[in-house]
Amino acid sequence: MSILHRTRVLAVTDSLEVGGAERVAVDIVNSLDRAQFEPSFCATRCDGPLRDMLLPDVEVTITGRRATWDVAGMVRFAHWVRSHEIDLLHTHGRGTMKFVALCRRLGLLDTPHLFHDHYGRLHLDRQATAGMRSALRTGVDAYLGVDSRLCEWARTNVGLPADRVHLARSGVDLSRFDHVEPVDLRKEFDLDGVEVVLVMVANYRQQKDHPTVFRALAELPIDLRRRIAVVTIGSTTSEPGFFERCWAMATELGVTDQIRVAGARADALQLLAGADGGLLASKNETGPLVVLEYMASSLPFVVTDTGEVTRAVRDLPIGFTPEPRDPVEMAEAMAALLELGPDERRAMGRRGRAVAEEVFDQRRVTRQIEEVYHHLLTTQRGAPARAATSATGNPPADR
Amino acid sequence: MSVALCTYQGEAWLPELLESLAAQELLPDELVVQDDASTDGTVALLEAFAASAPFPVRLVVNPERVGSTPNFERALARVEGRYVALADQDDIWYPHKLARLVGMLEDDPILTLAFSDADLVDERGRPTGRRLWSGRGIRHHLVAHEIVPCALFARRSLSTGCTMVARRRAVEAALPFPTSLDDPQAPMRHDRWLSLVAAAVGTVRAVPEPLLAFRSHPEQQTGVLEPAQLRSRLAAAAVAALAGDDPARAVEHEVRAQQVAEAAHRADLWGDFEEADELRRVARHHEVRADLGDTIPERTRRVWGQVADGGYDRSAMGVASAAADLARALRPARRTAP
Repeated sequence: MSILHRTRVLAVTDSLEVGGAERVAVDIVNSLDRAQFEPSFCATRCDGPLRDMLLPDVEVTITGRRATWDVAGMVRFAHWVRSHEIDLLHTHGRGTMKFVALCRRLGLLDTPHLFHDHYGRLHLDRQATAGMRSALRTGVDAYLGVDSRLCEWARTNVGLPADRVHLARSGVDLSRFDHVEPVDLRKEFDLDGVEVVLVMVANYRQQKDHPTVFRALAELPIDLRRRIAVVTIGSTTSEPGFFERCWAMATELGVTDQIRVAGARADALQLLAGADGGLLASKNETGPLVVLEYMASSLPFVVTDTGEVTRAVRDLPIGFTPEPRDPVEMAEAMAALLELGPDERRAMGRRGRAVAEEVFDQRRVTRQIEEVYHHLLTTQRGAPARAATSATGNPPADR
Repeated sequence: MSVALCTYQGEAWLPELLESLAAQELLPDELVVQDDASTDGTVALLEAFAASAPFPVRLVVNPERVGSTPNFERALARVEGRYVALADQDDIWYPHKLARLVGMLEDDPILTLAFSDADLVDERGRPTGRRLWSGRGIRHHLVAHEIVPCALFARRSLSTGCTMVARRRAVEAALPFPTSLDDPQAPMRHDRWLSLVAAAVGTVRAVPEPLLAFRSHPEQQTGVLEPAQLRSRLAAAAVAALAGDDPARAVEHEVRAQQVAEAAHRADLWGDFEEADELRRVARHHEVRADLGDTIPERTRRVWGQVADGGYDRSAMGVASAAADLARALRPARRTAP
């Protein structure tokens, strides 16, 4: 009789601070099928507020490494992995991947390694340095890209075989958006009489391209502009000086009356629930997760056409997807959303929610990732030592 | 989708180009032609082509010659398409050129410009077995940087007009051309300016696939050097750099600083502050090299400051420039005013 036990998966990130990759890691861990998998979580550098979002059955460890070449950190990490008999490592972010790949190459570990790539600066850099190629080719067993451009990069620039490269669109935990009490944005931000209030969830960072939003507002005819307002939610101090330059630009363009800066807020979901639409102007994204949050909040959206999620929904009647960095197209999209009227906007938002449920529900996305786990663990290359020596001789996912 | 073609005394080469345009798998919606007051049969050829072309041909003939870069500025100001391809009169486009480059921009909306490599052919259109990027000594830069950062365009001429397709907003950001482009001390061609601005307000991708036959002949504007010529030019540049202070070189750096600062200004206007700051660093680098100072400590400090700040290109050329500047800085003679 075989000894039944679940596959032990360790999700590995740099930290548990709030970030796109970290949020994805947490959502996947929480939604893994507990009948098959026993997840745990490792932040190799530091703890953070996302720890509170992990389900109680997820064991968390913080390695406290200080750099990629932190040998003591590697030893601590490898010891933890071995002592907990981890079957599979699922890393998020390139820094974390390099750290784990190095552990493998130094012989500290031989656990199968799946790397989940969320790299978002494809608009600036698509180099595959010798170090990156080496880490991916020899320290990673399977590559999971959140964007088809990343998968193409892995195949062509890095030279990974096609059967080791997988596309994994981001998902969203829809339960977080149920029963959310909306904030009255017009009252909170002194926007009485404004017909459409759009919320833009994005820290003030170059990549998020707030200037294109401000220029789009300036492109709108004055009678349309007065009917619309944008509430930005996110840190104004993420990149020194950027917010100040954006605000100077908005002032020069004469659009500050149409903008409210909410800063970083813990009640972002409540603010979304009170909005008439979602807005995102990113120069480049590979997700982006926030579009899923707009859809989950039943909001129609104006989101620049970048990233795998946007690519998947760009032709659906659930929002508008102007080209990145094009204020004229963005202004046209804002005007189109405005002219829809409240009923059609709400209908558009409901259609977006339905798409989120049908395509991007985290449980559905996680099932696809579980298939990659299964594929990895059943291939010879990824056969984990513990499984190979188990009493049954069966791969873990089959037990 | 528009093609912008500039012509001047091109009757010998033009028929082959026009034939290749008409044979594109993806035909343009318009061909905008700006002729720079040709006196040969160029205009007649264009008019005959317009009568039978499978797309509208909008020809304007300048009353007097303005030169290549201002001529392209005029042509670009007239295009109406969402995407704009630049054409030179003496090349032969492969049938899939437009489909490949436009498809790339359609698939990835973050791209503002894409440009390719080309096969080199001789005057009679016979393949030479060489490629454009290798012939210009830039292949290693472009293979290493599939996405070409704006600072790289600010330092080197890397793209050739006839190999590129730009998104309209890149063209809008590049117009009007600054007057400094035409400065005889350090002219900057239209294609380098367009690439520089496109990278400053967007993303530029280098495609290592040859998508046209690039004709190399004595009359052309963008020359391609034989390997021996290229080595000889580099050696001459190195000797000149080490030879001592040269007022012309100082002026060249001043002009380059103005051009790059203008590109930074365009990026600022579009809200691309990150790229603007990067370009200002390059402009500052040229300003420093234009005036290293009067005393040895001052000159050494300035050159070393640029080395420490990464002002010099991280290539053999950059290392050579830094070494030459350092050698000049250590020379006892006072620098003469330009």
